[in-house]
Amino acid sequence: MYLIGIDVGGTFTDGIIMKSGNITASAKNATNNSDISSSILTTLDNLLAYVSDKKLIERVVISTTTVTNLIATKGAEPAALILLPGYGLPNSFYELGENCYFIKGSIDFRGNITEELSVSEIKSVIENIQVQNIKRIGVIGKFSNRNNEHELYIEKLIRETYPEALVLISSQVSNQLNFKRRIATTYYTALTYFEWQNFIEQINKALIARDISAEVHILKADGGTIALEASRNYPCQTIYSGPAASTMGGVALTKDSKNSVVLDIGGTTTDISLVIEGEPLYASKGAIIEDNYTHVEAFSLTTLPIGGDSKIGLLNNEITLDSRQDFAACFGGKYPTITDAFNLLYDLKIGDYQKSEEILRQLAIKENLDPKKLAETAINMVMESLENAIKEMFTRWEMEPLYKVWEVVNSRKFVLHRIIGIGAAANAIIPVLASRLGVNHFLSQYSPVANALGTAVARPTININLHIDTGENFYSVYPTGYLGQIKNSRNFSLEDAKSLARNHLAELVKEHNMEGYEEDAVFYLTEQFNVIRGYSTSGKIFDVGLQVKPGFIPEFTGVK
Amino acid sequence: MRKTGLLFFPAFDWAISPTHPEREERLLYTRDQLFEEGIMDLPNIVEYRPALCETKDILRAHFCVPNVEAHLTEAHFIAAGSSLVLADAYFNKEVDNAFAIVRPPGHHAMTVTHGNRGFCNINNESIMVEYIRKKYGLKKIAIIDTDVHHGDGTQEMFYNDPDVLFISFHQDGRTLYPGTGFVEELGGPIAYGTNINIPLMPRTTDYGIHYVLEHLIMPILEDFQPELIVNSAGQDNHFTDPLADMAFSAQGYAKLNSILAPDIAVLEGGYSVETALPYVNAGIIMAMAGIDYSNLKEPGFVPGKLTEPPGNKEYLDKIIELQKHNYFTRYEVVSELRKSLGDYKKEYTRVFYDTDYIHEEQKQQLRICPDCLGFKTIGSTAQQRNGKLYTVFCISIPIYACDSCQKLAREAYKDIIKSGHYDMVYLQDKVTDNYHIYDLAKDGELIF
Ligand SMILES: [Zn+2]
Ligand SMILES: [Zn+2]
Repeated sequence: MYLIGIDVGGTFTDGIIMKSGNITASAKNATNNSDISSSILTTLDNLLAYVSDKKLIERVVISTTTVTNLIATKGAEPAALILLPGYGLPNSFYELGENCYFIKGSIDFRGNITEELSVSEIKSVIENIQVQNIKRIGVIGKFSNRNNEHELYIEKLIRETYPEALVLISSQVSNQLNFKRRIATTYYTALTYFEWQNFIEQINKALIARDISAEVHILKADGGTIALEASRNYPCQTIYSGPAASTMGGVALTKDSKNSVVLDIGGTTTDISLVIEGEPLYASKGAIIEDNYTHVEAFSLTTLPIGGDSKIGLLNNEITLDSRQDFAACFGGKYPTITDAFNLLYDLKIGDYQKSEEILRQLAIKENLDPKKLAETAINMVMESLENAIKEMFTRWEMEPLYKVWEVVNSRKFVLHRIIGIGAAANAIIPVLASRLGVNHFLSQYSPVANALGTAVARPTININLHIDTGENFYSVYPTGYLGQIKNSRNFSLEDAKSLARNHLAELVKEHNMEGYEEDAVFYLTEQFNVIRGYSTSGKIFDVGLQVKPGFIPEFTGVK
Repeated sequence: MRKTGLLFFPAFDWAISPTHPEREERLLYTRDQLFEEGIMDLPNIVEYRPALCETKDILRAHFCVPNVEAHLTEAHFIAAGSSLVLADAYFNKEVDNAFAIVRPPGHHAMTVTHGNRGFCNINNESIMVEYIRKKYGLKKIAIIDTDVHHGDGTQEMFYNDPDVLFISFHQDGRTLYPGTGFVEELGGPIAYGTNINIPLMPRTTDYGIHYVLEHLIMPILEDFQPELIVNSAGQDNHFTDPLADMAFSAQGYAKLNSILAPDIAVLEGGYSVETALPYVNAGIIMAMAGIDYSNLKEPGFVPGKLTEPPGNKEYLDKIIELQKHNYFTRYEVVSELRKSLGDYKKEYTRVFYDTDYIHEEQKQQLRICPDCLGFKTIGSTAQQRNGKLYTVFCISIPIYACDSCQKLAREAYKDIIKSGHYDMVYLQDKVTDNYHIYDLAKDGELIF
């Protein structure tokens, strides 16, 4: 049985094959950013050369920058947003994109309608959008996660009057609290929706052409995978899957419950993530897309513009670090780089050591400096940046708000055990950084392909969240947007709430083609509140969350 | 826009009792509203993590009988500690102002505490003020209590301190708990005129409250020139509050805070958990952060529907005139009082704890000192909720006390212990920041 993982990076696309716990082959190609699919297929074809029988391929997982690139290059067609902000912050705080329409209609936190829709107003907005020939529409109502009646009505009206348009309603894109993040998540989903469908078709076709019938998954920003077909409505979840692949790779290589920092040091940038007791840390406010918080679950990540190929320069007698312009001199590049500095100072024998020495000497001579001193100063600058970024991440984690007494009483400080190094420049930088921080480090012969490894062995993740209000007799499910009624609402208990969540998870697991994983689901949220009116109980409110966390497929038991 | 520090601590796992107004559900819908608005995602809102305060922080303000642990849960330490987190954020200039949306509340808690009164065990604002004075050396502080109930705890704690201006507006004490807060309560002999009460007619609306704010509170603040303005920010003046009978709106609260411009606001009461708190809290944050709040409205609010009680304007004009007079002539009154009083001013008082049903009797004595605020002693007797009877003696040395008051107070502490008449003897030495607790039964002293 073969497992294939392909990770599309900004510069290179990496792939690996695993067979019985061994990485049996790897491939590396330059990424063609204007045609991501071709980069994936080239790498896949390289790997297929090592496969004896394609029927033995069990699973292919792809981490792709398709959506990231589309947003970054602003290549998408415009989308219009119909917003129902009700009362609260000024409307201007919710504007996103060029075509926002604010309309009447409001709902409160318990799902009560506090202002009715105006049908004529909606019709004129739809007309307006149609006149401009905008074919992607997002509809987002405040508290639609508690009652999506308004959103559904508007969706129906658009389908009737403007059937060519794509309509996405926020309660079905990301059915959870935070209107502002629902707006952003729905907007970016609309912007990338058709392109993501195209990508899925291309991959499907290519696999059929290659006679591959393995299950195909996409890596998400939360370090879990999702079946290609199930991902159709969630293109944004594939954003930032690259750094998630590295983090999962770091965890896959170590597979223990230590507190670690994973540093993926490439030529241009360094991605830093935290692993607490073996579990990668999530960004508490979700992935940030173009400065907007979203409901896309993602690892907490810091990216620094520092890599092994960062250029060392001199300006007015001061040593400077500039962004990558070429390979390191020891690999034939034109400029002195951080890699060259390590090579010289620690005698690492990376590439052509003489060239590192030569180019740093040429630079140092201009200001009458000792080349080793110059290398040392540049390395110190890098170390300080990395150290500060790591410490800031600890502090940020330690400062996350808490809402319960027991959380405050049991809050901990982050004690770092180890640094895990990944990426081309890790071997030079990680040992020095670890000794400065006074902790152990971990490097492996597989560090350069850890991202593809993490992609290959990551398991599917899923997160389900129920808000249940027995007083108002409704419950609402994230992520599906399902709105249901409760039987037996008078005696409904927390146990009932949990089993309701389990039932919904079981359905979702089927839809996502990930049967069996529901057994690994854990409750990460169980809150219950008595609703008291006039000194007696008029209902209960529950918030329960059930999650299959990031982890590894059962076949993967570690790298041999 | 201003940078506003926010500490939201709803204590979702703490209640006085399951159906008590001070229960888990109290800030649930506020959580929903704030999260749904995305207020915490705004670049000028900085959310802080709650923290436990130290025992010493509490002892700087209170005499807890018999000790701090006896009546306090971790939630109390966190509510008080969270105010301190924001005080630090403010004084470290991380934010322009700050709002602690925390529970349990504190403004009915007094210097001596035998239990819970008015849902309060310890006074979050007073603990914060003492902390700020000790750590940041501030002298003049104004506390504006905007809760519908008279802030009798805070009043009592700073009653003899002319450096802390306490202004409370509230529903008239003849119609609401705790039944105090009348215009005659103007402060102790040397702090006369720095305790200003503004009892309001039931059903006073935004108009009336803003009228007193502009014509009485702001002119006094203008003159007092405090180094820090604290809003003891109760939300039970709202027209839907089940425990009171006023007619204030969410917009009204927002406007109040944009005019008052508090440096730090701390949530107090407010028990209309569903129809008021979510909107009032959002309004206060928006006003403090300088965000336009004209689009904020609670669903039940109909503009123009709430009207002032008849004759209210005339009533308010009278109070404004009277209290302005009391404040602006205070120095003359104080110098007269100093002449007429002897070395000590003695007083008997009773304190009732409604929540825990405790009757406390106090014998207070204040030294009238020519050089400082004078040290204070309180003999206190109460049978606590668990049936235990305590007779204790408390000595408090003010933070800027003169040498002779310090000396006399420390001697008194030793003498009282020797006398053996009390279960516990306390010395609150704010000058050296040392807090002594002497347990006569164990014949042992603890010093914090
Ligand atoms: Zn109150
Ligand atoms: Zn004195």
